Amino acid sequence: MDTDVLIIGAGPAGIVAAIETASKGLNVTIIDESNLLGGQLRQQTQMLQSLPSPYQSMRGFELAQDLTNQLTQFPIRYLLEHRIIGIYANGSLGITDELNVFPIMAKKIIVATGATENAISFPKWTLPGIMTIGAAQTLVNRDFVIPGKSAVIVGSTDFAMDIIHQLIDVGINIKGIIEQQPTIQAREMKKVNELYDIGLPFYVNASIKEARGIGEVKEVDIQLQDRVFTEYVDLVLVDGGRSPILDLFYQLNCSFGFGDKLGGWVPSYNQSFQTSVNDVFIAGNATGISVHGALLITGKIAATSVCEELEVLSREEAEKQSAELWKELESREYTDVFQERIKHIESYKSPMLKNQFIS
Amino acid sequence: MDKTKIICRCEEISYEEIEEVVGHGAKTFDDIKRLTRCGMGPCQAKTCTNLVAMVIHEQTGTPLSEIPLPRIRMPLSPIKLETLATNSTTFSTVKSVLDELELEEGRVK
Repeated sequence: MDTDVLIIGAGPAGIVAAIETASKGLNVTIIDESNLLGGQLRQQTQMLQSLPSPYQSMRGFELAQDLTNQLTQFPIRYLLEHRIIGIYANGSLGITDELNVFPIMAKKIIVATGATENAISFPKWTLPGIMTIGAAQTLVNRDFVIPGKSAVIVGSTDFAMDIIHQLIDVGINIKGIIEQQPTIQAREMKKVNELYDIGLPFYVNASIKEARGIGEVKEVDIQLQDRVFTEYVDLVLVDGGRSPILDLFYQLNCSFGFGDKLGGWVPSYNQSFQTSVNDVFIAGNATGISVHGALLITGKIAATSVCEELEVLSREEAEKQSAELWKELESREYTDVFQERIKHIESYKSPMLKNQFIS
Repeated sequence: MDKTKIICRCEEISYEEIEEVVGHGAKTFDDIKRLTRCGMGPCQAKTCTNLVAMVIHEQTGTPLSEIPLPRIRMPLSPIKLETLATNSTTFSTVKSVLDELELEEGRVK
């Protein structure tokens, strides 16, 4: 199987990249392990505020629908419920539909594999009933399953604040939010204050000392600076932040840099969102964890670069388009994240990890 | 901190087991993996990579940016051998570990 552009990951960044490249007449294939397009957007019921023009502020699943509708105008090849297993010596990628494996050869690859939630460990964190907060969101909004009656939340990012509101809406009793740092990590204070106002306890400089239960979590000991107390819960939701998913970049022999605010190790890329491997581009949360608006813009920039390289967009046009998108990215994303992204790009030529795969 | 807590949930490797091999000189995720099976279960280190990096950081003071990623090999996620064997007669899905090496006159360069 051959294609001009192979897009890996059908979340917001991947879909935008598909729309941009396919609208220039390129032959586009998009692959995702899920059975539907939209990625994480599908279970996001929160309003997304930072979307770039022409998108109005809308809910995650609505954006997924909007993006999917735009895709239908173009003759794109969909490989849903397909996974990449690795790369072969001739540069083709091995793809499985769970029955067989077949190779696909692409002129350009855009990897938009997104991010994964980080775990937080404490004694008995492997008990059933303890899961990431994103897993709880998937259960509630996608599968219509309420994972528990009363919960404590470990971590306090914006991602968690959005989901806590949704959990309260379906009747889950939130007994407290535990943050290890001295301050709440969320930046959208409006959402935090709404939770304060309904009397939800926030504990800072706090952690879970231990969880207990036989076969499932029944209680947790919460360690504060001056005391320990026990809460009786059947759900512990951990919010350890998110990190880019790197497996495929590693397999493709991409180099990596490190950025705390981007989520840790991040594949190296330049202003065109081109990785250290010429034909491999990157988009979305894999470029560093950011707001939804930024995911869409990075997908557009990567696609613009690919269009230029495949000569369906003139150099001047691509540069102009890219410069505008970069301006918009700067205006949509948190300043410290944007600055770390720039720093990451500046270290493109001197990555911290390189030639990992072939040693 | 209770050091009996699990770090690698697939292989049930605890903080203290990792601490012990770090004490013996393990510096990277792969060192720890080879000594303890940490990261060798069904999730193939997808859950514990960052947790293990934190243990190394706490035990040795090495900044997280100097603790390399674990080696990530094909297949990227679990696959049935039956599937990997494929029905194609023109395409070999199986990749030898030797594909990772550069050979010169039959020897590793």
